[in-house]
Order: sequence, then structure tokens, then C-alpha cells
Amino acid sequence: MTNLDRRTVLASGAAGAAGAGLAVVSSRARPAAAAPSDQVFRQGVASGDPLPQAVVLWTRVTPTPDVTPGSGLGRATKVRWEVAEDAGFRRVVRSGTLTTGPESDHTVKVDATGLAPDTAYHYRFVSGGSTSPVGRTRTAPAETSTPANLRLGVVSCANLQAGWFSAYRHLAARDDLHAVLHLGDYLYEYAPGEYGYGRSNVDVRPHDPPTEMVQLADYRRRHAQYKQDPDLQALHARHPFIVTWDDHEVTNDAWRDGAENHQPEEGDYATRRATAHRAYDEWMPVRMSGTAATGDGTQLFRRLRFGTLAELSMLDLRTYRDQQVATPLMDPAIDDPDRTITGRAQLDWLKDSLVAPVQWKLVGNPVMIAPVTFAQVPKDLIGPVDDVTGILPRDGAPYNVDQWDGYTDDRRELLGHIRDRGLRDVVFLTGDIHSAWACDLPHDPATYPVGDSAGVELVCTSVTSNNLDDITGTPPRTASLSVEAAIQTSNRHVRYLNFDDHGYSVLDVTPARTQMDFYVIGDRADRNATSTWTASWATRSGTNKVEPVGRPVTGA
Amino acid sequence: MCNQTKRTTTAFTRGLDDLRTGRRSLLKVAGAGGATVAISTALGARPAAAATTRRAYVLVLDGCRPDEVTAPLMPRAAALRDGGLNHPFASSMPVMETIPNHVMMMTGVRPDRSGVPANSIYDRAEGVVRDMDRPSDIRVPTVLEQLGAAGLTTGTVLSKEYLYGVFGDRATHRWEPFPVVPVSGHAPDQATMDAAVAMVEQHDPHLVFVNLGDVDRVGHSDVTGPLSLRLARQAALAATDLQVGRFVDALKASGRWADSIVIVLADHSMDWSRPDSVVHLQPVMDADPLLAGNVVIADNGGADLLYWTGDPASRAAAVARMIALASETPGVLEALDPLVDPTLRTGPLAGDVVVHCRAGWRFTDPDVWSNPIPGNHGHPATRPIPWFIGGGHPVVPRGVSASEQARTIDVAPTLAAYFGLGAPEGGYDGSSRLPAG
Repeated sequence: MTNLDRRTVLASGAAGAAGAGLAVVSSRARPAAAAPSDQVFRQGVASGDPLPQAVVLWTRVTPTPDVTPGSGLGRATKVRWEVAEDAGFRRVVRSGTLTTGPESDHTVKVDATGLAPDTAYHYRFVSGGSTSPVGRTRTAPAETSTPANLRLGVVSCANLQAGWFSAYRHLAARDDLHAVLHLGDYLYEYAPGEYGYGRSNVDVRPHDPPTEMVQLADYRRRHAQYKQDPDLQALHARHPFIVTWDDHEVTNDAWRDGAENHQPEEGDYATRRATAHRAYDEWMPVRMSGTAATGDGTQLFRRLRFGTLAELSMLDLRTYRDQQVATPLMDPAIDDPDRTITGRAQLDWLKDSLVAPVQWKLVGNPVMIAPVTFAQVPKDLIGPVDDVTGILPRDGAPYNVDQWDGYTDDRRELLGHIRDRGLRDVVFLTGDIHSAWACDLPHDPATYPVGDSAGVELVCTSVTSNNLDDITGTPPRTASLSVEAAIQTSNRHVRYLNFDDHGYSVLDVTPARTQMDFYVIGDRADRNATSTWTASWATRSGTNKVEPVGRPVTGA
Repeated sequence: MCNQTKRTTTAFTRGLDDLRTGRRSLLKVAGAGGATVAISTALGARPAAAATTRRAYVLVLDGCRPDEVTAPLMPRAAALRDGGLNHPFASSMPVMETIPNHVMMMTGVRPDRSGVPANSIYDRAEGVVRDMDRPSDIRVPTVLEQLGAAGLTTGTVLSKEYLYGVFGDRATHRWEPFPVVPVSGHAPDQATMDAAVAMVEQHDPHLVFVNLGDVDRVGHSDVTGPLSLRLARQAALAATDLQVGRFVDALKASGRWADSIVIVLADHSMDWSRPDSVVHLQPVMDADPLLAGNVVIADNGGADLLYWTGDPASRAAAVARMIALASETPGVLEALDPLVDPTLRTGPLAGDVVVHCRAGWRFTDPDVWSNPIPGNHGHPATRPIPWFIGGGHPVVPRGVSASEQARTIDVAPTLAAYFGLGAPEGGYDGSSRLPAG
């Protein structure tokens, strides 16, 4: 048993035993709330993909109690949406009505256009006499404008079974963010008992449905469960999201034609993936294939511009990639020019993104691009490191081949492009690895720090998903320190590494520098875990290198 | 590349003619280092009118990379940048060479309008590959002439002979560096700054345009460059920084600082290649049946300009063939038709195909020994430059960075805005980098 909060275990256990984890979690979140609007808009409201004059608005309606997520029940339902300048909706600037129904699981997604750039708005939905909670959002600055800064919350890897989403709650309490960047693993596919809290995989909260999600109804129910988490609901209601997926939105270690966690008895993989993508399109405030409409394409890689200051290119590194190599121990296939992590079209698109006449080229990058050799990691800790990072074989293979390290030709082409074109201020923003990193991106890692860096990579830790001390069962900042030291010794471009903590990051971009503040939360099993600033790293414009900063940006 | 093509009549010879024939008068003054500084002045020029107390100085750190302007290496330049308005996203313009980018600074227009696209071109009329170092090569008025027309005075302190040549006698006052220029064709920065300070003290022009060539000169020849060590280069950066500091100190000591803006930028940056990383296109072209004997190449270090000299009716086919052959050659990043590619705007003088090399490579044409130097520019890898405005004039924002892209063509519009001048005919291609209003 780990240092799990006993009361929470008891509460979760009770919920699981009752077979109604979803309802229990929901009632815990809003103990006194039984108003009709809560029943109609159970999954809250959300916004996303802010453009200078448009933002995607999202909700789901439950017109009658039997129309539960994934049920396929219910009739066509009209929903009105409103965008206002004020919280009281006296100055409504845009509104409309649309119809949803069982074909889209009664989700509602609208691209609210005709808005003013760089402006905060309130929005809400009305259906069947009920009014939704009021959400707040913000449009992006005009393309030719010169914003003083861009500030984003940055998160990834939120496993509901592993704990409470305190990271989301603390970000929701901030008023200084322009948007929240979610770098993937927004939800997990596992059944209860398969992947939870710490060494013993205790489910702080069990997943619904109580199986691995495979069918469309499973994916819809799981999305609904996550959106009923009060902390995630609060964050969605407070700030627009900019999302990409990693693997767990479909299933673990996904690649173009399969996944580690997909077995033949679960059916055709392509069908499963299409199902997962459909549910994602329905349930997330994102433009796929350029539109807020569902069912018209699932291209997720896209650009978002913030004046002359920054452009954010969001990547999809799961849909087009070749299979991970099976034996990572120096398998020459990791260097095979015919293998790809991005796919040809997306790599060309990314190279075009980086030559845009915008100062900061931000890349929403689901898995790490910095080369990392784990060769010096002590043998006894290889297993736990593997559990955190993915695929490290027990015989000490030095690379995580689920990252760009497993597809070196794409990375070589991309970093070569940066060098050949004289590009600066390229910042990769990354999740996936359940740990916090700040790295330079050397053209030649072997000789670094002699030689140039192509840019930097800033990696946020997990919201809840296990990392090293969770798996070793050792106290924080003990065993992990030797792993971190070993990694930094043989990877001199890795300037900061924290393998133990969970939390979130805040990214602040100004013309002078881009800074990431790393915040850590207390125990994931604690519903009310506090948040503490732990480190800040920045890259001054033009340097392509990270350096420590003594304090976080203010406004928290 | 700076020194590879042959010159015809030297620029300094033409300058001497100006003095001999009385078109310019010569004044010799004692410089700060004790050496004599020779400054010529256009005939009929009057002392600076009292129209404005504003002064502007443009210091070009030739070939400096933006990541080299750091506090330990270049503390004075870094302090000037950090105390003023910095443009961290700043770029040289094609072709990323010295002469075209200096011309772009002073004209504010791209080479298809200014007439100066590269250091080295094939002059079809003369049938020779030559430097663009003649005053007549610039085909539009520069901001130097604009200031003159407005009754303001200007000065050029140019350390490189071909820059001295191309700007000719456009400035009211001109440093005559030929007594001190060594065989490299560049005056050392110490001498250049002696001249700049002396010119300010003696003539107090409203605008002085200064090129400091040591960083570029040393960078070209730094054999440790390909190893990423750049030992000689770093020494040059530190030495040049001292000269920047001297200039700032002189402005402050003479009381001019509060009336001044100091624009510091580079014309291009620098990239290093190993001797085995060279692209040699002449034999590739000459081996082709269509092209053999009908392609002339003007080598600009990181950019090769290819000229079709055969039947004009066959140009389209020849261009397609040149692009195909060059694109297949290792080390080539891209081969572009300037008539098709909208980004180049190099105009007809830059040839029929512009070829860029990858980072870590260089061209050597027409012969395999034509370009032996490790440091080169002209290719996109060498676009990043420092670009900032310091100075004590209240128009300069303090400690501000701006996200907009700044370019070499922005210097003239910035100066025009500062002095309240209008745009030339056809407008500027660049934009003022000072805050509006």
C-alpha cells in the first residue's frame, strides 16, 4: 500500500462496490445541486481553438434522464447558444439555434464566428427551458497585432483512476491565461484495476464503463465521465482549450494500423480508431479537418496564430506513424528513412509552419523530440523508468522508441530544416512522459554543448498518471534523483528533469523570451491537493537554449 | 562570400579621382588613436543646418549572428540592445550578402528595385563576373540623398572597399580609408571607429553609416568554425564590441547621446563548412548537352547565381534543366527561378536561377579552388541577424522587445520616419521600426 489517502480509498471503494461510480463522483462534486440545468447540462460547457474572430463552443444536453451518454436514445433536441460581452448576458453579440440528437450523442458543437479579436466573452446554452452554466472564453489576437504576451496553461496525461484533477482546478483559478493547451492523454482507455494510483494500481476513482473502452458507446461514456469531473469541468468553463491527442484517446501505444493495447478479439483496429476519433470529435471543443462540424474528417494537426508573436502548430503523432520497433536494443530500423512518426504530409505541413513570418514557432508535440539515451540509468531502476516512459527493455536498450527517438529520420529532416532555413525560436511543447523536462535540441547531441541547438523542448508533467516514485514506491526525490542524474550525465542538453511530481505548467510567451513555470500538486488521492511552484525555465529569443529562471510569472 | 570575384577599376582609384578633380575636398584630422583620419566632403556642402538636433547612427556589425550578441562576449552591444528596442526576429534579405543588404538598408527597397541583388554578378553587357561596387549600380535614391535634399548632412564610414565603391560620393562626408586598408580590402574596426568618432566630432552629420568588418572577415577565415569552436571569431566579436562601446562613450561624452538613435544590425550572419562540404556546379552544368558552355556562374558563397548565355529562345528549357541538375546535387537546398519564386525579388541581374546551399555547405564556382574559405553566407541559414535601436533620444523605447520581423530594408524607412522625411517614389518595401507617432 502506498501513501494513499485512506478516506478516498474508502469512498472510491464504496462507489465501485455500488456499481455507480459515475453517479457518486458527480454527486460528490455538486452535493447540493439538483437544479434542472444540472440535469440537462451534466457535462458542463467548453470552448476551444480560439481564432481572432471565432471560437468553438461545446456542450452536451440530456433532454430526458434516459438519454445517457452512449445510450443512443433520445430525439432531436433544439439548443440555443449565446455569446455575450457580459456575465449577465445583457449584451449578447452572437447567438443561434441548432439541433442535436442521438447520432452525435446529443453533443453540441458550434463555431461562434463574427467575434472581435483578443476579447473575453461569456457564453451559455439554453435547451428545454434549462440554461447551462456560463462559460468564459477568449478570442485570439488579430494576425497583424503585436500582443505583449501569450499565456497558456499546459497539461497532459490525466488518468481519472489515478487521482483527482487538482491540476485542472488550480489552472481554473487563474485569471491570467489566454487558453489551456492539452497535449494528449486527456482520457484513458483502461478498465478499473488495470491502471490506477501507484504501485498497486489502486483506483482512486474507477472508470466508467467498467471495461476497456472499445465500442462507440464505451468511448462516449468515458468522455462523459471525464467531463463530469468537477475540476475539469471548471477548467473547461473558464478557459478555451487547444487540444491534441496522444495514444490513450484511442488506446496505448497506438500507431497507424494498430496499438500495443489492441488485441484481435477487440475487432478491427481501423474501426476502433474511427470510433474513438468520432467520439473525440463529438466530445471535444476542437476543429477537426478545419471545422466544428462532426463527421466531416478527423485531421487534427492544425495551426493557431497569436498575432506576430506566436503560432502554435498542433501535431497528431499517432494516426500516421509506422509501428514502433519491436526490439529497441539498437534496432537499426529506428533510423530507417522509410519509417515515419508524422507522415509525409504532416511533416511537410510542419516545415511550412516553421517558416511563417511569426516570431515564436510553438509546436504542440505529443511525444518528446529531444534525443534521450537512458544508457546510464542504474539497472535496478530500468523497470520503473520503463513503466513511466514507455518502452525501455530490461536489457538496457537506450532509447524510448515510442518517441521521436524511434523515428530518427523524421527528426533529422525537421531539425535539418530548422538549420538550413536559419529558423529561430522554435519551441516544442510536450506531454506523454509523466515528468517535467527542459531541454535544448542539439544538432549533434554527442558533442553538445559544443555546437548549435535547433530550439528547445519544454515538457509538462502528468496531471495524475504515474511517474517514477509512484512506481518504485520510494519517497519523492530519493531514488528518482539517481535516475535524473544519470540521464542528465549522458544527455547534456537535458537541463531540467523531475520524474516524481504531478501537476501542470504555465507557459508565458513574450517577444523577449518564452518561459515555462512548473507547478506540482500534493497527493493525487487528496481531493483538495494544494499546488506549489517548483521551477521555471526560459529561452531568451534567439538563443535556442533554456536557462533557469528564479520565479514564476505573476497573476496566479 | 566577399573576395572571390575580380574587380575592374578599384573603388579607391575612383575615390582618388574625386579628390584630384576637386569634386570632393579633403580634410585630415587627428583620430583618437593618434592616427590621421582622412575625410572628404562634397563640394558645396554646408555645415549642418540647425533644422534639427536629431542625430542617427547606423552601425553594421558585418556578418554578426544574433546569438553572438551576449553579455559575456559582447557586453557593450548587449547593453545597448537591452536598454533600447530589440527585434529578436530579424532577417537579412536575399541574396544574404554584404553589398545588397547594405544597399537595402540605405534604399529601403528590394534588389529588383535597387538594382543590387548580390555581391557578385555576371554583367552581361561587359561579359564578366564582377562585384557590384560601382556607384551607378544603385539605381534609386538612397536615404543619404533624401537627407541631403532635406538640407541635412550625412556621412559614410565604410570599412570595405566595395561598400565604399557602391555608395560612392552619395554622403556629404566620406571616410577615405585607402591609406589604412590592408590587402584584405577591409579596414580594421579600430581604424574604422577612429574615423567614425572623428567624423562625428569634426562634421557632426545628422546621419552616419558605419560598417565594421572585422567580425565578418575573421569569420570567413576561421578554420575552427566548422568544428563549432569559432575561436578566432570570438576574439573578433570581443574586439568589435570594444569599438561599439567607444562610439557610445563618445556620444555620451560629447553630449549627443540624448539627441541620438543608434541602429545596430548585421547585413547577414555566418555559417561554416568543412572543405569536403562544397557544392561545385560548373562541371555539372557543363556536362549537360543543352547547357554545356552556356552557363556562367557568379559564386556568392552560400548562393550560386546561374546565368543562361545561350539562345534566349531556349531559356525556359535551360532554366528547367539547371534547376533539375542543381537540385539533385548534394548540399543544395533549393534551386529557384526568380521569375517564379515571389520571395527572392532579386531582379534580372541575379541571373536565371538562384541556388542556395544547405547549412554547413558552400559553393565553389567556377573552379573547385574558387572558394576555399570556411565561413560563408548567402544561403537561408545565414538570414538571422541582430537588429536593435539604442540611443538616448526619447523616441527609443527602453528595454523593449518587439515580435514583428525586422529586416535590413527597414533601416531607411526608420531613418526617414525619425527625420520626418517622406517615402521615395513607389514607396518603401520596408517599414519603420520606431513606434508610430
